[in-house]
Amino acid sequence: MHALFALTLANIRSYLRDRAAVFWTLAFPLVFIVMFGLIFQGGGGARLKLGWVDLDASSASTQLKAGFAALDGVTLVETTRPDATDQMKLGKVDGIIVVPAGYGVSLTAAAAAGQAPPVQLEVVTDPSRPQLAGSVYQAVGTVLGVVNLGGRPPLVVPLPQTVQTTNLNAISYFVPSMLGLSIMQVGIFAAIPLVADREKLILKRLAATPLRRWQLVGSNVLMRLLIAFTQAVIIVAVGTAAFGVQITGSLLVVAGFVTLGAMAFLALGYVIASFARTEDAANGMTSMIQFPMMFLSGAFFQIDQMPQFLQVIARIIPLTYLADALRQVMVGGAAFAPLWVCAAVLLGWLAVCFGIASRKFLWQ
Amino acid sequence: MQTESIAATVATEPVIRVRGLVKRYGDVKAVDGIDFDVAPGEVFGLLGPNGAGKTTTVEILEGLRAPDGGQATVLGVDVAKGADSLKPRIGVSLQTASLYPKLTVVEVIDLFRSFYATSRPTAELIEMLELGERKHARTKDLSGGQRQRLSVALALVNDPELIFLDEPTTGLDPAARRSLWDLVRGLKSQGRSVLLTTHYMEEAEILCDRLAIMDHGHILEMGTVDELISKRFKERAVRFDQVDGIDDEDLAALAAVTTVKHDDDAVLLYSSDVAATVGALLGLTESRGIEPQNLGIRRATLEDVFLDLTGRALRD
Repeated sequence: MHALFALTLANIRSYLRDRAAVFWTLAFPLVFIVMFGLIFQGGGGARLKLGWVDLDASSASTQLKAGFAALDGVTLVETTRPDATDQMKLGKVDGIIVVPAGYGVSLTAAAAAGQAPPVQLEVVTDPSRPQLAGSVYQAVGTVLGVVNLGGRPPLVVPLPQTVQTTNLNAISYFVPSMLGLSIMQVGIFAAIPLVADREKLILKRLAATPLRRWQLVGSNVLMRLLIAFTQAVIIVAVGTAAFGVQITGSLLVVAGFVTLGAMAFLALGYVIASFARTEDAANGMTSMIQFPMMFLSGAFFQIDQMPQFLQVIARIIPLTYLADALRQVMVGGAAFAPLWVCAAVLLGWLAVCFGIASRKFLWQ
Repeated sequence: MQTESIAATVATEPVIRVRGLVKRYGDVKAVDGIDFDVAPGEVFGLLGPNGAGKTTTVEILEGLRAPDGGQATVLGVDVAKGADSLKPRIGVSLQTASLYPKLTVVEVIDLFRSFYATSRPTAELIEMLELGERKHARTKDLSGGQRQRLSVALALVNDPELIFLDEPTTGLDPAARRSLWDLVRGLKSQGRSVLLTTHYMEEAEILCDRLAIMDHGHILEMGTVDELISKRFKERAVRFDQVDGIDDEDLAALAAVTTVKHDDDAVLLYSSDVAATVGALLGLTESRGIEPQNLGIRRATLEDVFLDLTGRALRD
């Protein structure tokens, strides 16, 4: 058997027999997703929840509201314009209907004149969840069908809106974040067994065989990529099957970013392994990098809501770009940076970290 | 030192040839200009206390460390230049038997076999190293002796001409140590050359065709066990436990005594006529009203050689 694959197999066996490692890399993200999923899902059954913003407060708008309220399976949540977006972001409403000021007057005018421009009813949906958006428009169509009855051309038309910066519900936002986070862990956690192998003189023993260093590194990369892809499959499967997250983008591009992200964080892991002398030190260093990265990357919190100086850090760390890229591709989330920038930043991290590690790594 | 006489005894090209080898760690010279040759088929020992420079020497020869000076040729290859071409031909067992703790014996052997273009069958190695009963055990669950045997098995996967065993029996119980000695003898009978390091005198005496005594990075003395002993000690030693009431001058004046030494709590009287010395000693102690405890006679050992060379005992 080729040394590269034999060593990869040995690494995988060692990994699978290390229950703690398996838990933290495979089970833990799952537990996290299920936990978040249940929190954000908040008991919501199949009902369509619509945020109701009435800027007109006329008898016509009240009538319209009654029309929506009468629909089967629709719940209206009265709210204000600024709150509505936040509620949608948190998954409390699936869409927003905004009745513009002067709706009643315009409607009467349009009905009387016949030729007046139709009144526009603002309908806000989430494009990353086309099924939900479809349901919202179906509801709007049903109600407006009644209002417009007999009117040619229609008196009221929907004005489609999307919330460009925060158009994901919490779980859809969270699943790509979790995948990014898991990939980060798979990468930087590679430092720990590597340092352990050095401490146990396994690396030294390998150095006394004809095994090449590229084979050693290559087997490590192969094994970590395999774990990263296993994680990706599990996370995406659970996200879509259990929590209805819709993957809108190309799986091939997702795979590309999983690979690139895993490589970049693996290189960061090698940097840690280059400076950590003991397994404990490697453990400490991975935690020291992992936790700030987790909270500053926008994986959990919106970057633009962070204090200015933290935003600067968020703009540097690789997880920001990996999570952003995955979010853009997987669920069509709003871009923090264009995809090519995300790829370039991750490539940059990969190159710099690999450069440092290849110079500083101690083999014995 | 002694290179000429060694060259004369080695008829064929040596498997290891070391000249003026130097390795520094900061200001410390771990290896300070040593010379030795190992002949084909020979079991050669580096004997010395911890920190003598044995492991550093071996690791240079294995291609794991670059020397700071001098020359080392292994199987005709300069290790500073051609370590890569050497690795397929040598077998290595490091001082600490370091193995993948979560893999089984078979898995580790198969892994190491994959590193070499040609290798011996796993089953053959397992049988040879008597690991059959434990072949599906994870290496972390092996006893010290089993782990050491596995480490030797890994050194043999590529059927090497030359095997390096660094402290192969350190930390083993006597039975495990003896089983490893049998193994080394077996390697020698197969015509392989072995370079081993040890700080056990008994091990060096039993296993090594020739050995070099190392201390502080230097080789103090080199030769067969008999040569090393007989060169310094023509006589045998009378030993007894240290007692108060007799000083070294009294002892040196006893019949036939050539040297008086102290080794831990024992007094050693080197004597050219043991019977005369024992008689005189008993006369002296009786006259002083003391009784020598654990009185015995022994031939000089490597221990005595080391004591004579360094002024201290080689114990850990």
